[in-house]
Amino acid sequence: MAVIETYGISKIYNPGKVPVPALNGVNLTIEKGEFTAIVGPSGSGKTTLLNIIGGLDKPTGGKAVIQGTELGGLSDRELVDFRLHHIGFVFQSYNLIPVLTAIENVSFVMQMQGRPAKEYHQKSMALLKEVGLEDKIHKRPSELSGGQQQRVAVARALASKPDFVLADEPTANLDSVSTADLLDMMLELNKIEDMTFVFSTHDQRVIERARRVVTLVDGKIDKDEIRAA
Amino acid sequence: MIANIIKLGWKNIWRNTTRSAVVITAVLLGTWAGVFLSAFFTGMVQSYLDNQFKLTVPHIELTHPQFKDLYRPEYSIPGADTIISDLRQRSFVEKVSAQSLASGLAQSARNSYGVTIHGILPGRTHGVNTYLKEGTMPGNDQQNPVLVGSKLAERLGLEPDSRVVLNFQDAAGNITGGAFRVVGIFDSFSSVFDETNVFVTQSDLNQLMEVGDQVHRLSLTITDFSRANSYAQQLRTEFPNLRVTTWGEAAPELQYSFQMTDLMMYIVMVIIIIALVFSIINTMLMAVLERTRELGMLRAIGMNKTRVFAMVVWETVFLTMVGTPVGLFLSWLTISYFGHAGIDLGAFSEGLNAYGLGAVVYPGLPPGYYFNITLLIACAALLSALYPAWKTLQLNPVEAIRKIN
Ligand SMILES: Nc1ncnc2c1ncn2[C@@H]1O[C@H](COP(=O)(O)OP(=O)(O)O)[C@@H](O)[C@H]1O
Ligand SMILES: [Mg+2]
Repeated sequence: MAVIETYGISKIYNPGKVPVPALNGVNLTIEKGEFTAIVGPSGSGKTTLLNIIGGLDKPTGGKAVIQGTELGGLSDRELVDFRLHHIGFVFQSYNLIPVLTAIENVSFVMQMQGRPAKEYHQKSMALLKEVGLEDKIHKRPSELSGGQQQRVAVARALASKPDFVLADEPTANLDSVSTADLLDMMLELNKIEDMTFVFSTHDQRVIERARRVVTLVDGKIDKDEIRAA
Repeated sequence: MIANIIKLGWKNIWRNTTRSAVVITAVLLGTWAGVFLSAFFTGMVQSYLDNQFKLTVPHIELTHPQFKDLYRPEYSIPGADTIISDLRQRSFVEKVSAQSLASGLAQSARNSYGVTIHGILPGRTHGVNTYLKEGTMPGNDQQNPVLVGSKLAERLGLEPDSRVVLNFQDAAGNITGGAFRVVGIFDSFSSVFDETNVFVTQSDLNQLMEVGDQVHRLSLTITDFSRANSYAQQLRTEFPNLRVTTWGEAAPELQYSFQMTDLMMYIVMVIIIIALVFSIINTMLMAVLERTRELGMLRAIGMNKTRVFAMVVWETVFLTMVGTPVGLFLSWLTISYFGHAGIDLGAFSEGLNAYGLGAVVYPGLPPGYYFNITLLIACAALLSALYPAWKTLQLNPVEAIRKIN
């Protein structure tokens, strides 16, 4: 079973007044373990597509299916719960709760999932170690660099044992060194944990390192290339 | 999870330390000021009532059922001694005193005036002792001694050693009277009282009235004056042949001012709490609005509305409830201290005295007050928590997230 399947997804903003078409019939299937970049010019619909796949927004037409579950069939309440258990999110910024330390931020999702304290503590430690921040676990976000904050966000995204990690422009605020580091780390996790990553970007250096590149133009898939590992 | 949300709420209030500290301090000072002010008012009214009780109206009085209509001397209390010793047995009775009373006319060479004549037992303290301005209380070793109020002394042109004639009815209904010598002048807070009351010895009065050793009124001081009604009810069934009157019935205006303070105390508190509620709502709205993106992120990663709502409610409750116990404790400390030491309003004492208020106020609060106030503040906290928390429900995570990217 594919992790992500979309069937003819379309999205029109403001359907009543001045309709803005953002997506127009997007069919996309992403299998477990893929490392996919969604690329395209600004306004091409990347964020809209990721929001729909992530269960944050609803399509005007078509359907999104995650690990066999059709998102359109879920109520708002069920959708929040679905996001909590099935999807790991990394945003461009404001990923972390500023009053919590790195380890507390990573633990937070697992606490919401109702996992026992011992388990989430160990798991958070392990994840922060994996992202190379074992010496920063008790630091608050404000004490971390932008790159380090994004690593904590990736660790947090993995903490919920999601079906896949969704990242909308995760490197947009990072310098080139941090960008490369974050990419290395994501690729590493993709390899070791067989974690599926879907991320949007318009950074050429990031695009180069993706295994699959889906290009959107005007809300449609223009190109879908798979590269050799 | 709820424990984690509570912890997070607690940490969140310390994001903007200055702002939270200001609100917490406001709550603390508001609580303190409100409670202390209430205690001050209560103490003031208490001293006012105490003065009234000592001088003009006993907590509970027992009389012959018809005595108070016309003050006829023959309407005395039969078997007063037995009743007095019976009353003294009761746990709610602090003090019992007996007076014979007459309604009559005080005459000097200059003028005459209607007065109530109190026959008191020399040697026993009476409320009027406190207000003795000149001379002494009437004693058995003096010849027809009388204590008069300053106002009456002024009207009749009396001074110590002056003679004044008191006329009243005797038991047979004939006009009787005698010449009395002024041994003392009192000056109380009530010029009306000073003008219309004179004090003589019980033996002198009773002899002239020809009532033997009868008394007309038993005055009770009870342990808790606010329960006068229920005690009076009890006494009514036990002494069906007597009229039992409570202070509230004898002086409705006192009853009224007593109830007013109770009300006023809560009004003061409610006003302060309303002001606090608005500043708390305002602060929390700011705190929520400036965190839109973060709250959107939390919703996106799977924190449901109920949890976000609970988190904001807890933040507000903390913001309110940190200051409250400290404020209450400070109130308790200051009230306990001044409750013993008193607050000397010396500078205003003359003006206050005229209204029957003591120069020293002893702040105090009724026992249930702290509990009620805590309850009131807790309700206010919850109420002010709801609006900002409800605001978070309106938040659309997609729009909030859009602002991120
Ligand atoms: N909330 C919205 N209301 C109206 N139009 C929107 C809204 N969000 C996005 N759009 C429009 O939808 C199109 C796609 O936007 P978006 O998905 O953000 O593209 P990208 O992430 O590739 O830049 C753009 O034309 C954008 O202006
Ligand atoms: Mg975008």
